[in-house]
Amino acid sequence: MSSKQFFVNRYKKLGWTYKEAELKQAIRINTMNAGRDTVVSRLESLGIVLEKIPFLEDGYWIRKSKFSVGATAEYLLGLYSIQEAAAQIPVTLFTELEDKTVLDACASPGGKTVQLANLMKNSSVIVALELKQRKMFALANQLERSRVTNTAVYNMDAKEASKLNMKFDCVLLDVPCSGNPITDKDWFNKRTIEDVHKNSRRQRQILTEAVKVTKDGGEIVYATCSLEPEENELNIDWAIGALNVKVEEINCHGEKGLTNVFGKELDRSIEKCRRIWPDQTQGFFICKVRKQA
Amino acid sequence: MTMKAINDFVAQFNASIPFDVSRIVRNRNRYYLLSKNLKQQVPKGFFYAGAYLGAVKGASLFPSFLLLSMIAERKANKLVIGKKTAWLFICGRDIFKQGILKGNNLKKGDYTLILNEHNECLGFGKIVLNIREEADAKKVAVKNILDIGDFLRREKRQSRRQQRSRSLQGSDRKPHKPTHK
Repeated sequence: MSSKQFFVNRYKKLGWTYKEAELKQAIRINTMNAGRDTVVSRLESLGIVLEKIPFLEDGYWIRKSKFSVGATAEYLLGLYSIQEAAAQIPVTLFTELEDKTVLDACASPGGKTVQLANLMKNSSVIVALELKQRKMFALANQLERSRVTNTAVYNMDAKEASKLNMKFDCVLLDVPCSGNPITDKDWFNKRTIEDVHKNSRRQRQILTEAVKVTKDGGEIVYATCSLEPEENELNIDWAIGALNVKVEEINCHGEKGLTNVFGKELDRSIEKCRRIWPDQTQGFFICKVRKQA
Repeated sequence: MTMKAINDFVAQFNASIPFDVSRIVRNRNRYYLLSKNLKQQVPKGFFYAGAYLGAVKGASLFPSFLLLSMIAERKANKLVIGKKTAWLFICGRDIFKQGILKGNNLKKGDYTLILNEHNECLGFGKIVLNIREEADAKKVAVKNILDIGDFLRREKRQSRRQQRSRSLQGSDRKPHKPTHK
């Protein structure tokens, strides 16, 4: 059986029929740098046709543009960021961000770090971690371009976050994952189930460390762009048993999390998570948990 | 040395910024202005933090765009340029006299911030002729020194460097994470 057939069969068992989809380019207005209407009207005056993303406050799909939206003066001035629609959701799920100390544990390339800074109105503190040295400059450039001034970036593995000796109110875990075939046309040729299991183990290590550095009562938003339940529902099911966390209700785009995965019954609270099968957006999984006192 | 390089740079635009020196932190040759919260809460050893001011090489400061924006918020040498000229400036071009909308009182040799019609800072340059006296509108009036198009040029440089480094290591495997986070 080909790798593609193997994964497509799995998706079918989980309730989704695989279909190829074109990823729509999306932007997010950085409202700390300019008003939403101002940016929209400036982009429209350049001939860019925008469509409001119905489930996001500051998100727009690019319907038509004669040139790259990553090369306009408005982009270079940090008035907006290029960020896929589903990827804009996780940061919006924290109950309150202003005056909080926030950890962005796997930060590069920095789209969500900028979004956090934006919702925090550039106040209080974000600590952003990135393991890969080669991604550090791109992350720094993104912060400088977007005029983020409340963030400290460390070249550090999220699995070692406790070395910072800090405790956080909110932790964003946009963990490294297997990705999905919508964002990578070569995905089926590159991925094996062993990769998925390897990523799952790493994600559990990151989750464990994240819970350690979260204050009692603090929130952790866990997100992947993987469709594989081992990296999503099964990890959260494991965390409910092994770590001191409870799944919180979230209200956002997507379907309920799966509570039966290939015949295995999971904790009922996992249906509070959101699974986004690729359609208007890329595939995504999002969950918010709260650390218990 | 640090503050002198930064203050001298700011003074080139006939401006001054009363920095709280206790909140300026150096990391290698790069300088950052930290907020009170960052200064109090985050440990040393960061790669980047707060408002990046620029890098000092020798006696010169290579400024960040955040520093230029901070100067632009104050009384300083500024030129406002038209839409088309702004685009050419971002592409690295110099500014012709005809593209200048405001700021004709600056003289040859002055350094000036370059603003677009929305008063947003696009970079800075050096005035190379007496703008008010020059009759030829198609002469270069401002030499481009730094513009925000540098963000794209940096990315290209860094990506070329990474490709070279990957090919030296014999691996060109793409990172697992998608680019549009």
